[in-house]
Amino acid sequence: MPRPPRSVPPEDSFGNGWFGAVPSCRFATFRVALAVTTLVFHVPKFNAFIRDYTASAFHVPPAFGWLPILTPTAGAALAVLQYVAAGGLLLGVGVPTCGWFLAATGFYILLLDPEHYSHNAHFHLTLLALVGCSRDGLSLARLIRAAAAAARCPAWPERLVRLQIGIVFFYAALDKVFSPFWGTSGTRLPALLVVEHGLGLSMLQRLNQVVTRAAPAALSIATIALEFFLAAAAVFRPLWRVGLVVGFTFIAYLEFLVAPGLFTWDMFASGILFLPAADGGWQVLLDPHCPSCRRRRTLLSGLDWLRRFRYVPREATAISTGACPGLQLVSPRGQTLWGFDALRVQPAILAGPAFVVMAVARFGGGFLAARGAGPWGALPYVLLAAYLALWVPGVARHLGRPLHAALGTHARAPRNLDPPSPPG
Amino acid sequence: MGSLTTGTSGWRRRGAAAFIVVWLSVQVLVPLLQKFEPPDFHYRWARYSWGMFSSIGTRYEVRLLRTRGSGGAEPIPEVGRYVRGYRSPEPMRMRAAYWSEAEVLDRFSRLVSFIARDRHDGYTYVASIQWIRGPRADAPLHTEFRAQAAP
Repeated sequence: MPRPPRSVPPEDSFGNGWFGAVPSCRFATFRVALAVTTLVFHVPKFNAFIRDYTASAFHVPPAFGWLPILTPTAGAALAVLQYVAAGGLLLGVGVPTCGWFLAATGFYILLLDPEHYSHNAHFHLTLLALVGCSRDGLSLARLIRAAAAAARCPAWPERLVRLQIGIVFFYAALDKVFSPFWGTSGTRLPALLVVEHGLGLSMLQRLNQVVTRAAPAALSIATIALEFFLAAAAVFRPLWRVGLVVGFTFIAYLEFLVAPGLFTWDMFASGILFLPAADGGWQVLLDPHCPSCRRRRTLLSGLDWLRRFRYVPREATAISTGACPGLQLVSPRGQTLWGFDALRVQPAILAGPAFVVMAVARFGGGFLAARGAGPWGALPYVLLAAYLALWVPGVARHLGRPLHAALGTHARAPRNLDPPSPPG
Repeated sequence: MGSLTTGTSGWRRRGAAAFIVVWLSVQVLVPLLQKFEPPDFHYRWARYSWGMFSSIGTRYEVRLLRTRGSGGAEPIPEVGRYVRGYRSPEPMRMRAAYWSEAEVLDRFSRLVSFIARDRHDGYTYVASIQWIRGPRADAPLHTEFRAQAAP
């Protein structure tokens, strides 16, 4: 597959330093992901702290004597402003002010009462402060528009977030080396909180608990080694690719089988900063005269926040068949994907929107389940299981045909799913 | 911002460099010094040091009540006004995931003293704490705080 020239120069791999320019869309996508978790989890949780604190007559002394006690009026104002600031982060309006305001407010609330502290919250506030350093300059509207590919911003905020991830994993591993509950004993592991998700996941969780109780020492050592590896992978670029896969699997394991929390979703969001951006690495082959192709381009452009797609007229390629074969992608390694294969790979490429969908499903589902509206808490796990099922061998054959039928005339075009014709 | 050539230069660059050095120093040194506190540098679990899932959080059950003379336990009136969400006199199960037993004891000691001072009705206000999991080997499994309110 010949590769047409890029319209945007590729990102310099490592030589542009801390103060060089990198694609803005990557940090902006990370910011939007963090804003979503802030809106659906962090702000409601901290506003509940504010509400409870100001409604109570008794308080323990704050961590520092000079910290002002929160009054009901100031608390109500902070609660409203937290939503405004989180909305600002999402839309990309006044990002530095909103990020630092949320971080400062959050640390203030943590220091008012030690009961407010959690590692989840500490990590989230640290990320919010680093988002406050952002100069990406991309509003949500600009991120959705194609012009965002050309925007550049200083590299140091995203480098600082990556180093922060490395620091967090390093100290988490170091703590486990010296902790009497981890090390070579692993006594902490059987005591880990497990949250029931319902449906088929309960069986997986029980299996996980059996394994944990059977070999806690081995699992403890494996966890420590894994966290040290992830710390190194966050810092050394050659390890990013492996680190992303290992990190995603590890964090997904924590989310699904141990105790779900904001930490895992902040880590998923941070993973965006290790992805390529504005490289046009995936070619989308289009027929400029085909209305369906034009609609597809409009849709993909709006979802491709990391600007991974490059739109190439089909006539310019060597595989043009004359008939529009539907969705057709060429991977950075030159592999051509058609139809169903091209469709199922997209959530992995469109990391920003995929994160938003899963985070809303996770926290929105949790919100509904907590109010007795049904087993909505299982929604993100069902979504992920359904997505993973698309990769089970044989599923493509069953789902591909109805999908192509639904896509209309494109179904008649040749697909790589079709079995090869017998000779003669 | 957001242009094709946005980098960092001049005083912004020096300011950003200073910020990066300070940030990384704090992020590296504070957890290290918290985990290995001088002068003995022995390991200990510390709150602000990224020790995720490292310590076993203490679990305990606390009862808040009041008594007068030889009478039995009575509920503390308007206990939710003192700490929103608290109940009296039924036991409340709690978990100290990120704070120490000493901080738990200090909280309830202060709470009953505060209520006794506030109500000054001659009752004795009691916080009875039963440790379920996690207290140090040398710590008692049951602790009680009493505060006598002035009539």
